[in-house]
Amino acid sequence: MSSTTLSALSHAATTAQGIKRVGLWLFILSETFLFAALISSRYYLRGLERPEEVNQALGLALTVILLASSLTAYRAETAMAHGNRSVFFRNILGTIALGLLFLIGVGYEWAEAFHHFPPDTGFGTLLFTLTGVHAFHVFSGVVILFLVFLAARRGAFGAGDYWGVEGGVKYWHFVDVAWVFIYPTLYLVSG
Amino acid sequence: MNRLTEAAQQRRGFLTLGALAVLTVIEFAVAALPNALPWLTAVAVIKAGAILQYFMHFSALWSEEA
Repeated sequence: MSSTTLSALSHAATTAQGIKRVGLWLFILSETFLFAALISSRYYLRGLERPEEVNQALGLALTVILLASSLTAYRAETAMAHGNRSVFFRNILGTIALGLLFLIGVGYEWAEAFHHFPPDTGFGTLLFTLTGVHAFHVFSGVVILFLVFLAARRGAFGAGDYWGVEGGVKYWHFVDVAWVFIYPTLYLVSG
Repeated sequence: MNRLTEAAQQRRGFLTLGALAVLTVIEFAVAALPNALPWLTAVAVIKAGAILQYFMHFSALWSEEA
């Protein structure tokens, strides 16, 4: 195979990778509209009202968990980009564990919320919808990262070929970005 | 993604998380102020921007690396 052909193949691979990345970002953009609509509905329906019973400490704890999981996800991607599989495995499992911990926290939040503002109240509707849609994204992110972990255990991915890791981790970071706006919307804003 | 060494990239991750933690503390404190919504929005936008830029490599979409 001539060097010209190799160069052309290399360029094509780069272009294909670029197309995958743009596709993922477009998907993330479409998801942004969903969360933007849900977050804006909070202000449209309830203004700046925030019930006294909102558990601010739990909201802060959930935020810390998700931000920490973004670091472990970033470390996992960086490690795989450099072919460092042991650091990758440690951090991808850490991310999955933090994701599960976040879901347990949301479950606890829901148990409290059913008591203080049930789903048939205005704020309850917003809280259950926003945290429910977001928690489903966290759950799907955990599933995606677990599939990435299983594929890596079978020998998939390497320093020059880690698109599966990158895609899963980018989706995870997006879930974090969505929470960055949900957290003040539900737990901090008040009139 | 590969331009920096692995150690440098990992260090950048920790610095980003540190900045996000400080911004979260500021956010929590600012929430006690009257008319806090613009400040809370500003902090959230900065936090999201940090995640997009440093964790998600958003600007790399337009670089040769992408």
